[in-house]
Amino acid sequence: MSGWEYYAVVLLVYFATFLISAWGLNLEFGVAGIPNFAYIVLVAAGAYTYSVLTLGPSSGNGGFQRYVLGATLPYPLAIVCAGAVSAVLGAVIGITGLKRLRPDYQAMAMLVVSITATTIVIADVGLVNGSAGLALIPNPLHSLGGGSRQAWGYVGMVFGVCALVYVVLRRFSSGPFGRLLRAMRDDEDAALAIGKNVVALRIAVQAVGGAMAGLSGALLVGFIGGWSPSAWLFIETMALLTAIIVGGMGNDWGVVAGTLIVPTLIVQGVQFLPTVGGNPELIPQLGWMILGLLTIAFLFFRPSGLIPERRPVSRVALPAAAPAVRTATFRVPEARAAADASDEILRVEGIRREFGGVRAVDGATFGVARGSITGLIGPNGAGKSTALGIVSGFVRATGGSVRFDGVDITARPPHRRARRGLVRTFQLPREFGSLTTLENLVVAAPHARSESALGVLGGRRYWGREEREITERARALLVLFQMEDKAFERARQLSGGQKRMLEVMRAVMAEPSLLLLDEPTAGLSPMLTERLGDACLELRDRGLSILLVEHELDTIDRLCDTVVVMVQGKVFAQGAMEDLRRSREVQEAYIAG
Amino acid sequence: MGVIVQTIGFGIAAGAVISLGAVGFTVQFGISNVLNITYGAFMTLAAYLGYALLSRGLDVWITLAVVGLALAVASLLFNRVFLAPLQRRGAGFVSLVIGTVAAGIILQGAIVILVGPGAITYGAQFDTTVSGLGFDFTVAQLVIIGLALALMLGLHVLLTRTKIGRAMRATSNNPTVARACGIRTSRITDVTWLLTGFLCGTAGVALAVTTVTFDFNLGSTFLIYMIAAAVLGGIGQPYGAMIGGLVVGIASQFGAAYWSPAYQDVVAFSILIAMLLIRPRGLFAAAGVNRRNLSAA
Repeated sequence: MSGWEYYAVVLLVYFATFLISAWGLNLEFGVAGIPNFAYIVLVAAGAYTYSVLTLGPSSGNGGFQRYVLGATLPYPLAIVCAGAVSAVLGAVIGITGLKRLRPDYQAMAMLVVSITATTIVIADVGLVNGSAGLALIPNPLHSLGGGSRQAWGYVGMVFGVCALVYVVLRRFSSGPFGRLLRAMRDDEDAALAIGKNVVALRIAVQAVGGAMAGLSGALLVGFIGGWSPSAWLFIETMALLTAIIVGGMGNDWGVVAGTLIVPTLIVQGVQFLPTVGGNPELIPQLGWMILGLLTIAFLFFRPSGLIPERRPVSRVALPAAAPAVRTATFRVPEARAAADASDEILRVEGIRREFGGVRAVDGATFGVARGSITGLIGPNGAGKSTALGIVSGFVRATGGSVRFDGVDITARPPHRRARRGLVRTFQLPREFGSLTTLENLVVAAPHARSESALGVLGGRRYWGREEREITERARALLVLFQMEDKAFERARQLSGGQKRMLEVMRAVMAEPSLLLLDEPTAGLSPMLTERLGDACLELRDRGLSILLVEHELDTIDRLCDTVVVMVQGKVFAQGAMEDLRRSREVQEAYIAG
Repeated sequence: MGVIVQTIGFGIAAGAVISLGAVGFTVQFGISNVLNITYGAFMTLAAYLGYALLSRGLDVWITLAVVGLALAVASLLFNRVFLAPLQRRGAGFVSLVIGTVAAGIILQGAIVILVGPGAITYGAQFDTTVSGLGFDFTVAQLVIIGLALALMLGLHVLLTRTKIGRAMRATSNNPTVARACGIRTSRITDVTWLLTGFLCGTAGVALAVTTVTFDFNLGSTFLIYMIAAAVLGGIGQPYGAMIGGLVVGIASQFGAAYWSPAYQDVVAFSILIAMLLIRPRGLFAAAGVNRRNLSAA
């Protein structure tokens, strides 16, 4: 085999294996927003798994290298095992998402995991032969007999796997599931608030990304025949990240472009250059420096990459004529515990919360009648938003209990409360910025078939019809809120008021039986306030209960059947607004407090 | 018993250097709200600069001052030219971390190209041992411990007794309110980067003197120790980082003595990972305090 041929084969195999892992990391980081800085560890795990499953007993070859296991599995099986081991490891790393740290802290934790893994593998020589690493790892195609045939056969195999991986990858990164992951990336709390199990999603994504890493590692090591800690230093994850940033975060084809430019040409390409002078580190270090410069240049001047994530705006076939509001079909769930005839959908009993000595909520007790709009009012700092946070599960109570539909939900996480029908909005609007208005609504539908494992595997045939139904419901809501003309606009481009409306609509799409609105009219124009009020009354008439934190007395007068007055963390009074207005004490507390 | 005391002694010596670096890291984070990974590469730079000056026969104290000032200026420029503009362009938390990692790679690459990849053996020059109270310290270690104590005391006085120190704390706590109170936050930011750069420089020299051999990876490994100390003490809190540095130093020395020197790093790294997973606001943080630094959004 001639020199140039060898060169071409090596670059092609590097390209394909890097591409598989870059796609995997892009799924985690670009699409789902998980900064997995330990990704290269998963590639390494795949490479080591393949190695110890194909090398045979470590006493072979005179026992010059020590490692665990030492089996001789058939090569395809060993490659599959490599993917499986990395998938499990990826899921385990995904558990770090439980604590919901700020993303840069997650990145740092992952970075440390990566360095720790390297340290342990070097320190424990019996595991995979320490820093010397493994050698003589068999090529899965060695039966083709060395030469050109084997080399080009390998290229064919790797590109075949690449194509296969692409097909599977698109099931996750595009369509409704990709939309869900992007929603989580854009705002994790908002995803929780509409009932998405963020932790489970993250773990699933990291398992899929991990499997891709493992495959890539196995295919790489089967080709180069050796593997050691210096091949998977933390800096290699940076190479993948640079490829993603250069190509375009969240864009699978952007990653292809990034992989062509970054790891293949710069990091691997420079290694074929001759060594200059007495400094063997010169060439590789120059490669890394170019990589660093490229990253910084893109972060500064083109942060969305060469081919930005420009997902097609899905102009799904909508009914030509807008459906009349009255015939619009959006669901409000039936009362779930009909036996609970007290007709209180929510009962809050003595809830408390301290922030570093300040009692934000101090034993508040109140209820929300089924099918009513209840206002929660009080002066600034009275603890209204904290109380709402406790009811929705975003703020943990230091005492007291919350009963919803007759069930004690005090200890339930927010997404499970949302699934039961307790859905909140936030004081500052939290839209899924990269999705369109319509997508923001559609993604909120609970229990969608497209979000299940079957849905991901089955594709459009499995979820297509339901998706159309959900889209119809979203359309009906858009009509009710008079926002149809914004359906295909990206949410980050909406005005503040429109974002607020969007959030209320999205909450309704999650099929609540009790809707928690945190100052929904703050910053709304009088016209939008009016529109939002109309929509709330309409929703109530169809059986939805609403708890509303509000400052504007006019809005309260217009909407609320009952009002709960909070002062200094306690409930001061509860009753009809006209009665409370006459109460001198309430007037004083509200005005003076 | 002797081994335990000896290990604690080593731990204090190691911890002094960690504290010195960690305080700089944590104060920098407090003012910029960015996890600056480049800090490790700056420390490597300081170590090599210190080595170059000391091996030419320059006095230790002068070297510390010169390198400290050089790094103070470098650190200020780093923020002015790189980090602050990147933040102004709206880069997210992770993009900023990636940016600082990239900058670290460039700086480290430049160092390797200039001085070569080989390890440097240096620390032996200060090897005279001083014993007392059951501890054995080398002169270098005593100098470093003294220096760390002096700088910490100086920092304490600065933060609590001077106008500029109080302004620094205010800006770190809430830049918007600080600006509204008439504090010139941009100047305070500059002062903070100068100060933390100085701490980084002195810590780098201290590290070069106390580490027997080192190479271009010195700072990137040590960075994890410093972050562990900073997170242990509650990130953004200088006093927490001082204590955190000691804890990490002693714990890793115990790991080396009772487990295996090969696992010395693993002990420090595990402390960091465990803290991030269990108590990310640090050991001393009260609930609800310092929320700006850690809220998920």
